[in-house]
Amino acid sequence: MSHKSLLSKAPIAIFPLGKMGNLIPVVVAANIQGVLNIPVKIEEPREIPNECYMNHRRQYDAGLILRFLRDLEIEYPYVLGITSVDISLPIFTYVFGEAELGGRAAVMSIYRLDRDAHGGHVSESLFFERAAKVALHELGHLFSLYHCNNHSCLMQFSAKLETLDTIPLYFCERCKFLIQRIIYQNPQKP
Amino acid sequence: MAKIRVLVVDDELIVRESLVGWLRKTGYDVESASGGKEALRKLQEAEYDLVFLDIKMPDISGIEVLQRIKEQSPQTMVVMITAYGSVETAVEAMKLGANDYLMKPFEPEYLLVLVEKLLNQKKIIEENIMLKEQISKRVRYQDLIGASSCMQELFEIIEEVASVDSPVLIRGETGTGKELVAKAIHAKSERKFGPFVAINCGAFPENLLETELFGYEAGAFTGAVKTRKGRLELAHGGTLFLDEIGEIPLKMQVDLLRVLEEKRFQRIGGRDFISIDFRFISATHKNLEEEIKRGAFRKDLYFRLNVIEIEVPPLRERKEDIPLLAQHFLARFRKETNKPVNALSKDALLFLQSYDWPGNVRELENAIERAVVLAKGTVLTKKDFSFLTKGFEGMDEQECKSLEAVEKRHIEKILHECEWNISKAARILEINRTTLHNKIKKYNLKPA
Ligand SMILES: Nc1ncnc2c1ncn2[C@@H]1O[C@H](COP(=O)(O)OP(=O)(O)O)[C@@H](O)[C@H]1O
Ligand SMILES: [Mg+2]
Ligand SMILES: [Zn+2]
Ligand SMILES: [Zn+2]
Repeated sequence: MSHKSLLSKAPIAIFPLGKMGNLIPVVVAANIQGVLNIPVKIEEPREIPNECYMNHRRQYDAGLILRFLRDLEIEYPYVLGITSVDISLPIFTYVFGEAELGGRAAVMSIYRLDRDAHGGHVSESLFFERAAKVALHELGHLFSLYHCNNHSCLMQFSAKLETLDTIPLYFCERCKFLIQRIIYQNPQKP
Repeated sequence: MAKIRVLVVDDELIVRESLVGWLRKTGYDVESASGGKEALRKLQEAEYDLVFLDIKMPDISGIEVLQRIKEQSPQTMVVMITAYGSVETAVEAMKLGANDYLMKPFEPEYLLVLVEKLLNQKKIIEENIMLKEQISKRVRYQDLIGASSCMQELFEIIEEVASVDSPVLIRGETGTGKELVAKAIHAKSERKFGPFVAINCGAFPENLLETELFGYEAGAFTGAVKTRKGRLELAHGGTLFLDEIGEIPLKMQVDLLRVLEEKRFQRIGGRDFISIDFRFISATHKNLEEEIKRGAFRKDLYFRLNVIEIEVPPLRERKEDIPLLAQHFLARFRKETNKPVNALSKDALLFLQSYDWPGNVRELENAIERAVVLAKGTVLTKKDFSFLTKGFEGMDEQECKSLEAVEKRHIEKILHECEWNISKAARILEINRTTLHNKIKKYNLKPA
């Protein structure tokens, strides 16, 4: 059985969440296909449910967004939501992305990715690269990957743009192996 | 390396979920508890490297849980979680031993740095403890065994003394291990490839001691058929150990002094001087200064011997070594006797530690041997050592015919050994404290 036939149907769906241009989902999808060599489908945009908004924090709760994505009645094994609003977790001041370890849903925000340390705008290519890194990192978690100590690996934990900019746009050999094993073993995950 | 174990304690589900989620992604083994009680239960069941602990919880406060953790496993790192506005409690917690605190919400980067810092600290602390244990666990030095600080000190002194070639006088009660100390000095010295020759001066009558030490020429006296080398000669190139030097008769003390000064001697009946080179170690359980005063020991010889003095402490002053020594002897005699006796019960160890050992390590060694030889089971219990207390001071067999009389004397003796520490005595007697109090009243026992 060739991988092609196994993976003919896209196992990953991208859901743009709220207002967001066409470009970012396309860039992210292209990078996922490029790095992981699996098809990705871009779905129709969805609105983030109101209850995901944390009034006192003026941010969206990434955990609740994950719950929303997980419960979507769709057939894709993996779902990635992309949003332009600021997302966070109750304990954190912000997150770039969040995913269920070994689960189905991941979410990422581009809200903090288009600025430099001083608040100025960065080049579009850097912005795209960051978005691709965050998306692939969160997908890694969906594929049960832990954070990786290898500094040349997408799975290194990066909460700061500085760190995000130093990690490469690829997985180390070990993480790559673990992802491949999961994808090819179980292409039609629940 | 074993996985790092983390416990997250918070009554808020979302806090637990997000913290646990992040920690899992970092590859740690994570458990959570929704309150103080559950946390304490989990902490009883397993050891954690790191605990995140909410300060405010409905059942038991985080501060209380913190105190319990630090009592039970001080090495566990604890991070208090506080909400905005309760920094003071967090600072209070730090005074009580918390390693750090987090104020919700915190920067994700900050969590990473904090966890890495704490786990690093923990590693360093643990390495330190291990190192200390390794150093202090140098419980065996040559054939000497001892973990007590006085024995550890003794090992260090031996190490230093071994490298210099001067005479050593080892003092200490009989059976404390003086000969083993002498052997260790020899084994650690540059003469270790030479012979170690020991002679117990107290074990020979005067004339025999002389022939033992000096040897004789054929025909020196009736019965001296062949020439025989003495111990002085045999020790050439190595170490000569004279045990119980205080027993040497005065006349021989003069001869010995001359040998030490001139490093040569004549065999009995011989005319030639034989040059010898050895390190001289002597030992005594006597107070040589007293002997000098009494005129039984020569002052000049004393000064010759006593260039370096080493004191070996009696066993009763290093009771913490008793379990170690007991196990050591047990292993030896199990092998020698081929009996399947493989352990000492807790009460046996307690009893051995409560006994005074007037005969020191040798007495302990003999006691274990006797117990092993007579043992019926595989574990030596207190009963197997009852011979140690039989016929103790003043125990008049005729007077103590009745069970009560024996009981009275036995309780009296144990109380005396425990310096009237009732709890300790009760433990050894295997009765509770109240019973002991009643018996003290009944027999009208009083400290001597
Ligand atoms: N620290 C010790 N560790 C192990 N065995 C010991 C120790 N001290 C004494 N012994 C043993 O106890 C016995 C008495 O020791 P010994 O050196 O002859 O004592 P001393 O010369 O002081 O009378 C020997 O059998 C010896 O092996
Ligand atoms: Mg001896
Ligand atoms: Zn991650
Ligand atoms: Zn990796």
